[in-house]
Amino acid sequence: MTWIKVLLVLAAVGIALLVLRHHGTARGGALVKLGMLGFLMFAVYAVLRPDDVTWLAGLVGVGRGTDLVLYLLVVGSGFFAVSTYLRFKELELRFAKLARAMALADARARDAATPSDQGTPD
Amino acid sequence: MPAPFTNADVWLVVPVFNEGAAVRAVVEAALRTFPQVVCVDDGSTDNSAAEITRTHARLVRHPVNLGQGAAIQTGVEYARAQPGARFFVTFDADGQHRVEDVVSMLGRLRTDDADVVLGTRFHPAGDPVPLLKRWVLRTAVALSLRGRRLRLTDTHNGLRVFNRRVADELNLTSNGMAHASEFVALIERHHWRVVEQPVRIVYTDYARAKGQSLLNGVNIVFDSLVRGRAR
Repeated sequence: MTWIKVLLVLAAVGIALLVLRHHGTARGGALVKLGMLGFLMFAVYAVLRPDDVTWLAGLVGVGRGTDLVLYLLVVGSGFFAVSTYLRFKELELRFAKLARAMALADARARDAATPSDQGTPD
Repeated sequence: MPAPFTNADVWLVVPVFNEGAAVRAVVEAALRTFPQVVCVDDGSTDNSAAEITRTHARLVRHPVNLGQGAAIQTGVEYARAQPGARFFVTFDADGQHRVEDVVSMLGRLRTDDADVVLGTRFHPAGDPVPLLKRWVLRTAVALSLRGRRLRLTDTHNGLRVFNRRVADELNLTSNGMAHASEFVALIERHHWRVVEQPVRIVYTDYARAKGQSLLNGVNIVFDSLVRGRAR
């Protein structure tokens, strides 16, 4: 009972440290970081005082504290999935632009090496 | 020269991905009418690039596979940088498109009726499309709000002809097959004047085997759904 609490709190603190260490990688990172920290603080609080979460759950009309945590988790992972998806898309686009630039540069070099024979055959 | 025009102002953009068996014949046939062809080898792992270099077509090679949409964008960027390029054609490498169709589509652009001419497989005068494929494509069209607004009957046809304005403004960011929906979205966003032209698709066994599977059809339908609703 207490052991699991110690482990969970340590995990949350560890993640928080990781979040804080990786700074300045993206624009809007500050907001995400604050959100993450808030989320983790809530996690620590929920681990230490589960009864409060149950009280909060009752306040917003959810049966048990566990259910509230579960719902928040669903929303949280959904948010994570979407932001990761957008990130990947952005990355894919940059990757494509890079590859395209290389391909076009190569083609220009090749065209320069074989002048005007190509493109106007016969 | 077959047409009243020499087509010196036309560039054919041919995305190629592992089409080694067909691409050379397709390109050589196209070159007889359109002297300027650029093939974008999209990181093929077969002999596609070698086959292309045997023709008089220009070759641009993606260092890695990026998808058909990215290949088309690359080809258009290459072509629009060439002096004298006024008209652009996207043309499949597997032999399912016919050069005659391109000629008549170009005719409509030259009279300046439109900025884009899209090939459609669904026209009273056209050939029947295989049942399964027809169902998938019909669904894609039905789900595409844009497609209906623009009165398009076929939103996923690879045969397109467009003018300089469209080529300059074209910026496809969907790398994969979703580029077809994106193209339609761009038509609406940029207010390009669009018309459809019935074309015949040559459903050879080769093209059939290579072509879009039903699973890909699911992708297309899903993609139309997402794009139709969001944004």
